[in-house]
Amino acid sequence: MLTARTRLTYLLVLLVGLLTVCPVAMLALGSFSEGLTAFGAFTLDKYIAAYTDPALLTVLVNTVIFVLGSSVLATVLALFLAYLNTRTDIPFKFLFAVLSIIPMMIPHLLFSVSWALLLNPSNGILNTVLRNLLALEAAPFNIYSLGGMILVEALLDLPIAYLIIAPAMASFDVALEESSRVFGASPWRTLLRITLPILRPAILAAFVLGVVRSLASFAVPSVLGMPGRVNVLATHLYEMIALGFATDYGKAAAVGMSVLATSVTLIYVYRALTAESEKFVTIAGRGYRPTLIELGRARIPLFTVVALLSFVMIVLPVAILLYTSFVPYTMAPSARAFSLMGLKHWTDVLQDPLSLLALRNSLFLAVAGATLGVLLSLFVGYAIVKVKSRASGILESLSFLSFSFPGIVIGVGFMWFFVQTPLYATIWALLIGYIATYLPYGVRPMASAFVQVHSHLEESSLVCGASHLTTMRRIIVPLLVPGIVSAWILMAAMFIRELTLSVVLSRPGTEVLAIQILKFADDGLWGKLSALGIIMIAISTTLVVLATFVGARFRAVEPA
Amino acid sequence: MEIRIRGVSKRYATEGKTITALEDVDLDIAANQIFTLLGPSGCGKTTLLRCIVGLEAPDSGEISIGGQTVWSKARSVNVPPEKRGLGMVFQTYAIWPHLNVFDNVAYPLQVRKAPKEVIRGRVEKTLRFVRLEGFEGRPATKLSGGQQQRVALARALVAEPKVILFDEPLSNLDAKLREETRKELKAFLSELQITAVYVTHDRVEALALSDTIAVMRAGRIIEVGSPQKIYFNADTQFVADFIGRANLVKARVRAQEAERTVVDSGLGAIACARRDLPVGADVTLCIRPEFIHVARGAAGGANVVNGRIDSQVFVGESYESEIRAGAELLLARIDPDAQLKVGDPVHFRLEPEHCLLVAT
Repeated sequence: MLTARTRLTYLLVLLVGLLTVCPVAMLALGSFSEGLTAFGAFTLDKYIAAYTDPALLTVLVNTVIFVLGSSVLATVLALFLAYLNTRTDIPFKFLFAVLSIIPMMIPHLLFSVSWALLLNPSNGILNTVLRNLLALEAAPFNIYSLGGMILVEALLDLPIAYLIIAPAMASFDVALEESSRVFGASPWRTLLRITLPILRPAILAAFVLGVVRSLASFAVPSVLGMPGRVNVLATHLYEMIALGFATDYGKAAAVGMSVLATSVTLIYVYRALTAESEKFVTIAGRGYRPTLIELGRARIPLFTVVALLSFVMIVLPVAILLYTSFVPYTMAPSARAFSLMGLKHWTDVLQDPLSLLALRNSLFLAVAGATLGVLLSLFVGYAIVKVKSRASGILESLSFLSFSFPGIVIGVGFMWFFVQTPLYATIWALLIGYIATYLPYGVRPMASAFVQVHSHLEESSLVCGASHLTTMRRIIVPLLVPGIVSAWILMAAMFIRELTLSVVLSRPGTEVLAIQILKFADDGLWGKLSALGIIMIAISTTLVVLATFVGARFRAVEPA
Repeated sequence: MEIRIRGVSKRYATEGKTITALEDVDLDIAANQIFTLLGPSGCGKTTLLRCIVGLEAPDSGEISIGGQTVWSKARSVNVPPEKRGLGMVFQTYAIWPHLNVFDNVAYPLQVRKAPKEVIRGRVEKTLRFVRLEGFEGRPATKLSGGQQQRVALARALVAEPKVILFDEPLSNLDAKLREETRKELKAFLSELQITAVYVTHDRVEALALSDTIAVMRAGRIIEVGSPQKIYFNADTQFVADFIGRANLVKARVRAQEAERTVVDSGLGAIACARRDLPVGADVTLCIRPEFIHVARGAAGGANVVNGRIDSQVFVGESYESEIRAGAELLLARIDPDAQLKVGDPVHFRLEPEHCLLVAT
């Protein structure tokens, strides 16, 4: 009996290890060996070349400013929003739920593009409007700058930061603050000495995750940084492997090793912080709801800020893409613009063989990838939660590892690996890469679903004489359906929009939606880009709406 | 220090409904005694405590502590909690998880900017008082429920406030520990010259700890008095029923005598402790189970009730029995030695001073 479980766990360790450790190993091998394959003679040349590159210093400085700036901004905004929602009487609180979930349906690439359309210095729509309105010589804003990149990246990381900080703040026992007041501390002193220190693990966790995400971010630096020649590590790597005459995977691997090491370290710091934050959860007060802070006259202005943020993060990007997809070329909204509107870009895109190929590839990757990914996550989740052994501990760490993988770096590792196999330049390379990199997105919902299936339910099936496999099929899987559905949809939604890994692994014939959109951006074909982008948003929104619907259906069946 | 509360009301608006938490409360809490606010959950006792400490602002009325007005709607006085100089033990203890025991206890002195040596001395003294010496460096998250409770008490005492407030401080402890801690707390408080306001819904806790009990219901103070007065001599059926197990029998006043009030009831004519009530008034006769001493067989005489044992449950130190007397079913405790069975005829004599008449 036990051996079946143990064998399963070891098999999974092997499989997940292959998926996650393999690209890392190939990256390391590639960075140290001569020539274009991973198995040349040992050399440090690639490191020397990569780290003596005079451009690297500027790139590093830019990266530090970009990463820290956007993480700090995202964390501060999240803290502000979480405080308003959990502790004050701000109106229309449903907006906060919307604000923390809806932006995830808008792919980062399209969000960045919409800001470029609004605020680029030559013909950004908002810039044009402001210039005409205020009779300015030049455009008032330039989104193709470090400041612009920081702003957009911070808005993209805001929902995640909010989802980390808000629950910590909601489970915070208000008596901890009240007691500080009673014992003689002013509200300000209470904030500094009690509230913020107790929330520190959650705040730091949000910040560290922001750092990991912005370090790996490729959409923002490529759309908003490259036109203004503001390179960060992600785009620096991209230039090495995708642009210019001599692509240099070895140098990229050498630089990538540092990025990967930083990212993996940070993700373990993040994990420790979340554990710390849970330790601080105090006994919740029973039966007593603390009064909310009355904002008084600040209520409406603060609400306006939240409403504006929601508008900027949800309505504006979609509206700007829709508008751009209908007007013949980029122009500020006017009567003339509306009279010129037509479906030209839409018909162009729907007749463009490359766009259709990308759409087909992305749909295939989403459906096949999510199905295989969830199947793997199902077994991994089972082993992590239900089999308590050394091997399952290793499995957990392994399956968490790829959470820290910067797509473009790990893409280089996969590159080295796939070159050795017939999978190179096929859609299967993308499929395997996707599943490996996004495995945590499937494992996490599955693991929490397994936690909810009490082991007695499983044991009674075994006592009744069913085998492990029958128990899994007849008892466990049916109980897990809601978890399976949400994991599938989460993975499919990630795969539909996948950019950073695809940038490295995609070859002619295996283009995906995000790659095609990036190509349109490079060529300045904003109308076509917008039409294709709206299709992408529509697919991922449909998936999320479906998930909510299916989730609600299953919850209705469960006993209250 | 004494606390004076006049005309305090508080309403909440939740989900479109208005809930009255406090309704025109007047209360005087004398200095240096343990004063308990007792009532079922939702009666407003915690709200009243929070109004005293300043964590909540009433809608009307006045509160003064030791002669200083800390809240007045009419004169727009609102002293913030940090300026009221009180101590408080919270229901969840509110031990700050990021600080160790020493820093938790030292906090009230630190924010008052006391010198370091003074802080060290006072914290050590207070921790010794609550028998937690040697725990200074222990992280707050590594304390048991009882230890947390004592840290909370030490923190409330360290700045030597004149008034200390307790919000159901024992409700998070298990039954055995609760009893021990209650005794300890009583000992601590009687050693200090301090006014303690104590909120609880546990009647035994209230009876065991208090000098004075105020029973609350639906935002109002129903009765105030010593534990003995509240238990033996309540004015209302609600208080009599809430403070302990009671047999409540409908009755009507038949006659008033010098020291007795005689009523007609389902148990027959019963002479009770005198209450000033008009003849013919409907009242409730309240008899505590511990005052019903049953004997085998039937008997006659004044205030003697005959009945049969209807059911018996063995609970260790006694049988909890229900006795059928006419249409009434009375709860009584029967000695395990009595060897009575269900169906046996029994009788008992009620002492008039144990027959309490309360307003229906």
